[in-house]
Amino acid sequence: MKRLLLIGMITAMMLSFMAGCTSSSSSGSNDDTVVLRFFHRWPTEPKKQYFEDAVREFEKSHPNIKIQTEAVLNDSYKDKIRVLLGSDNPPDVYFSWSGEFAYNFARAGQAYDLTKFVNDDKKWSDQIISSQFKPFTLDGKIYGIPWSTDGKAFFYNKKIFKDLGLKAPTTWDELLSVSKEIKKKGITPVAFGSKAPWTISHYIGSLNAQMVPEDVIEKDYNLKNSDGEFTNPGYVKALEKFKELEPYFNKGVNSVDHEYARQLFNSGKAAMGYFQLAEIGMIEPSLKKNLGVFNTPGIQGGEGNPNSITAAPEGIMISSKTKHPKEAMEFIKFLTSKKKGTEQLTKVSEYSAVKGTTNEKNASKLQQDAINLIVNADKTYLWFDTAVDIKIVDAYLKGSQLMLNGKKTPKEVMADVQKAASGLQKK
Amino acid sequence: MPIRKLVPYLYLAPCIVMMGLFVYYPIVENFRFSFYDFSAFSPDKAFVGFTNFSNLFQDPVFYTALKNNVWYAVISIVCQVFGGLILAAILEDPITRFISSFFRTVFFLPVVISVTVIALLFTFVYEPNMGILNSFLHGLGLDSWTREWLGDSETAIFAVIAVSQWQSIGYIMMLFIVAIQAIPKEIYEAAEMDGAGKIRRFLSVTVPQVKEMFFVASLITLTGAFTVFNEPYILTGGGPGNASEVLGTLLYNSAFAKDQMGYASAIATVILVLTLLVSLVQMKLFRTGKDD
Repeated sequence: MKRLLLIGMITAMMLSFMAGCTSSSSSGSNDDTVVLRFFHRWPTEPKKQYFEDAVREFEKSHPNIKIQTEAVLNDSYKDKIRVLLGSDNPPDVYFSWSGEFAYNFARAGQAYDLTKFVNDDKKWSDQIISSQFKPFTLDGKIYGIPWSTDGKAFFYNKKIFKDLGLKAPTTWDELLSVSKEIKKKGITPVAFGSKAPWTISHYIGSLNAQMVPEDVIEKDYNLKNSDGEFTNPGYVKALEKFKELEPYFNKGVNSVDHEYARQLFNSGKAAMGYFQLAEIGMIEPSLKKNLGVFNTPGIQGGEGNPNSITAAPEGIMISSKTKHPKEAMEFIKFLTSKKKGTEQLTKVSEYSAVKGTTNEKNASKLQQDAINLIVNADKTYLWFDTAVDIKIVDAYLKGSQLMLNGKKTPKEVMADVQKAASGLQKK
Repeated sequence: MPIRKLVPYLYLAPCIVMMGLFVYYPIVENFRFSFYDFSAFSPDKAFVGFTNFSNLFQDPVFYTALKNNVWYAVISIVCQVFGGLILAAILEDPITRFISSFFRTVFFLPVVISVTVIALLFTFVYEPNMGILNSFLHGLGLDSWTREWLGDSETAIFAVIAVSQWQSIGYIMMLFIVAIQAIPKEIYEAAEMDGAGKIRRFLSVTVPQVKEMFFVASLITLTGAFTVFNEPYILTGGGPGNASEVLGTLLYNSAFAKDQMGYASAIATVILVLTLLVSLVQMKLFRTGKDD
């Protein structure tokens, strides 16, 4: 009898242990209120505050919906969102870069098909710049709603240029000669930081666009294409062009990150930098009228499109496992409304993907010019690190870091990339 | 009768359940996963046999990482274990005793600071243009010695290893201080009577007496060296290129950046085997628990 009791006790204890480990996750949802989990990539100010306010405003107008927000920064976001979406309890609404990054989720069946919502509410969806839907569309289905749009351009310090009697360069050769002049005066010509190597990918994306024919890029970047092997000689030339700029970067690019580069440019210690147009909002307050922007200079002898720009929307997606797609969509519609889009630029300096949200009232002259760079470009290429498969990106970036160190030649880097590309399972 | 036999197991049960659930079950699962090819966010797994392992052993990055881990281990043993022992012996010497508590705190302080904070701190120390290390060298007129410590593929891993030494030496020192304090005074007195000098006493009394602690300390540093992750991840992220990649960062990048979960599991299995081997060899070498 005693023995039985003991066994009973042990089993009870074991069970309670097991139960304790599993039951904690399933609480929190009431019948009448819908709880949505929202995951974005801006735990830093001012965007953190912007989203907190937006959530509060939304909850006020939709009393039956509660939103739990979570955020992690950039590189960590890329890691964490993949893991979270694979779990049994993914966030209902989440941010995503466009292109391959978003397609990956769609292909794995982790993204909710939003085509119906977009078609049903034309009044709302027609407000969004239609071209921005494309990088979220796979096999004719829309998986993400573009929230912001952004592009890459060279920023320059007008004061330094004026003091040295220089003009903003329009060709790559001019860029190099201008840099040489600036370096002679003891000023860093181009601020750059590649410790977190995504910054390299933006150069590579833009330079590839200039050096490699459009149709070849189309083929190579596409994961579905079985003979995209990155063998065009233009890729090597693009890396060589990038290397030409290397002597004009600040010292030790591999040990500093992008924020450092921005700070260097902000403080007037560097004459130029390759930044995102959204960063105007962070730089203009300190450089004021001295900030100028020019498009990536065209390269002579390039076979690509000289009037292209690296630009891409970022968007919001819904998890395929969500129980409340309608409510989640309500929230996205709220964030991509014209009212919110206009606020977005003034408050967090992100260009909304909604038409007519950048105007004299909420944008500086420079910001309006900047958005025109995107609108006027013949061809836009997505951020390279989200446009192609991650394994190719990895080979590219690791190799380029070593190239900046002088440890690898452009040809060797491309050999690694080709190896990575051929190793991929093409579908 | 059987009740008495069962009681000890009852006491052990909570611990065994917890260990099983959080340590042994994941290890077994990880071993199983290393034979599959799968992505973190898709449910289907493809059985690939030993492909992950054969790919891993053909991957040059794996050998870079392994080499860096071995450097980590060698330098950590020399600096932390030997250095820590010498530090402890100096601080326990009767001459330094009145200031030793101050220095003990000084050396131990880095141990209680979070690794993340320390790593971030050292990014400023190593900063190429205005970091204090380069400024210091510049001030001494040693400009040719200045480097982009973390950005140069030749110095990156050593810069990272140096941070770990700075941080962990205090911990190992503390372990040895405890061990030295437990040595009976009579032995030292006897040695002194026999005419042994300070160094002789250190070699013939202190070192053999702290043998047991020597084993513990080297086990801690060695397994630590093979499982290191935080310092390289924050300081360099494995870069530039793969120059400062260690097994830990390689695992992390394969799993969460490149989304090759099976491959990452294979790396984890290799790390497990390596650390097990290291501790087995050490147990044999030191024959702990037995008097000889």
